[in-house]
Amino acid sequence: MDNEKFVTLAHGAGGRQTGALIGNIFRKYFDNPDLTADDAAVLPLDGGRYAFSTDGFIVSPAVFPGGNIVKLSICGTVNDLACMGAEPLYLSCAFVIEEGFPMDTLEQLAQSMAETAAETGVRIVAGDTKVAGKGQVDGVFITTTGVGRIREDVSTSGALAQPGDAVLVSGDIGRHGCTILLARDEFGIDADVTSDCAPLWGTVKAALDVCPEIHVIRDATRGGVGTVLYEIAEQSGTGINIEEEKLPVQDAVQGVCGMLGLSPLYLACEGRMVMVVPQDRAEQVLEAIRQIPYSKEAAIIGHVTEDMPGRVTVTTEIGGKTLLPPPRGELLPRIC
Amino acid sequence: MNAQTELARKILSEYDGPPIRVMEVCGTHTHEIFRLGIRSVLPKQLEVISGPGCPVCVTPAEYIDEAVWLALEKNVTICTFGDLVRVPGSRSSLADARSRGARIQVVYAPEDAMRYAGEHPEEEVVFLSVGFETTTPASCLALQKAEEAGITNFSLLTANKTMPGAYLAMGDSADAFLYPGHVHAIIGTGLCEQLAAENGISGVAAGFTASDLLLAFALIVKKTQEGKPFFVNAYPRVVTREGSPAAVRLVEEWMEPCDSEWRGIGIIPDSGLQLKKKRDVYDARIRFGIPKMDAARPTACRCGEVLQGICRPTDCKLFGKACVPDHPVGACMVSGEGACSAYYQYGGYING
Repeated sequence: MDNEKFVTLAHGAGGRQTGALIGNIFRKYFDNPDLTADDAAVLPLDGGRYAFSTDGFIVSPAVFPGGNIVKLSICGTVNDLACMGAEPLYLSCAFVIEEGFPMDTLEQLAQSMAETAAETGVRIVAGDTKVAGKGQVDGVFITTTGVGRIREDVSTSGALAQPGDAVLVSGDIGRHGCTILLARDEFGIDADVTSDCAPLWGTVKAALDVCPEIHVIRDATRGGVGTVLYEIAEQSGTGINIEEEKLPVQDAVQGVCGMLGLSPLYLACEGRMVMVVPQDRAEQVLEAIRQIPYSKEAAIIGHVTEDMPGRVTVTTEIGGKTLLPPPRGELLPRIC
Repeated sequence: MNAQTELARKILSEYDGPPIRVMEVCGTHTHEIFRLGIRSVLPKQLEVISGPGCPVCVTPAEYIDEAVWLALEKNVTICTFGDLVRVPGSRSSLADARSRGARIQVVYAPEDAMRYAGEHPEEEVVFLSVGFETTTPASCLALQKAEEAGITNFSLLTANKTMPGAYLAMGDSADAFLYPGHVHAIIGTGLCEQLAAENGISGVAAGFTASDLLLAFALIVKKTQEGKPFFVNAYPRVVTREGSPAAVRLVEEWMEPCDSEWRGIGIIPDSGLQLKKKRDVYDARIRFGIPKMDAARPTACRCGEVLQGICRPTDCKLFGKACVPDHPVGACMVSGEGACSAYYQYGGYING
């Protein structure tokens, strides 16, 4: 099948096919003790543990309601570091710019980048600039790489989820994916939705301050919350049950999903954390992160189970039980 | 839970009668029944079969071959609903053709294809017109608009299907149909009444929310116990007896009934629609002289039996092994609304 002979858009969608591509090609050759399947690698260096992560951004359109490619490029890497319980310290950024790109737009982007970096307290300390011929890239593509210091008392990983743990999301889900989908104007639908793109170290810090023993922190990006839940279920060998009625979803997002037959659980987020927390600490964590502006709508959406290992189940509005279909490929290319 | 839903659940949970087989014939029903976990609250005796209700699933391999031929041999731009892109033809899918350089555009409505043709006058654009009563009017509307706008590089490759023939052909497969609400919003319910009165075929027209579906199943349970063929419209906020005469008229202006092949089932008389003779210029088969395709069918695939409720997706040897959503062998594994795909994705084994 051509699917296996050539890279398809589905391989970049952050779902199972992305995982297979990484496993079959990259992990095969790059394998070493520090290579990570989490959001950032944890590096034991002199003076502590450091998180190290990199992320490329090719979102189309480059500017969308609630954000733009550079804000995304800072938030994406900062959030990956935060997932490991690391305070983001330094970033590098590499620009690939298309010949003919307007200079003043580039300056606006750089300004926006500096603002987002300042907000998170991270410093951009190195960079690279390449220009590709007209048509060889689309506008501007950005890669950011970041380093953060991991708090001493913290150890998070997808493998650490335990039966009984509560599952939290830090806000209403699916807005970034919905925003990009509408911004492309392929469906002729108008709805007032803005991206959830946000830097989340503040949220993570607030959660860790009250509960350093949080088991898992993951940012829900390309594949949405559903993909993250499946990753956690698989890595930890547990099941996850979520209650449909407790999922925070904006009405407009729900409406768009209804019209297009999509699940908000599989729409991308760029400013939402999924946390797996010991049950008896869940309310405390919830209360703490709700004090932070980017996570006011946080909610407990379900819990980790012993049965159905590797699977995510849903208790539906009528009390029915069903599976959340496992993540699939191509929903929207170039979402981030 | 509202009062209607509670009552429906009570009726369903108290049912202790003989087995009832219900066939749903709508991809959206297939999907929603799984998504909402409906099976987990139905009585054990009530078996839900997914019939031929997903337009992608019933489209024969030869049709895909025709589209691939147009794209590769005639350099035609194919505009299509996304689901069709990965459906296997007898040799390749449109996705395979795309990786060999074919121009395949995914659109969300036939009008988008017409608009694309208007914007690319140098290309020949063919829209893959599949679907039931719900989507056919949109294809006809796109043609009408193309005609009005003087767009001459746009045509249809038709595989449109109509449900009445399928109900008759499938009548013996189940005790009752869960009639698709959207189809009957267009064609009305006269036919369903007639099927009950003259052919002894029972059914309930159903909507798509949890409460709609539970009501419909509860009505089927109640009415079946009465022992007479029945029809009930359980979706009156959308479905009327008359349907949508304007949509029906529009289709009649452009298309006429023809015998049609349903993938895995065979030819059902008068169950398809083709462009009328006087509309030849919009008929891609005539416009490009598409040769007759002979399809080499995968023999172990049981899609046809699945669509007729003869076996379940999980009874097929290929299911979940050689045939998975990423590498579908049969069409029922391709579309999110296909029975095999739904069973696979929602793990049919825990949902019965």
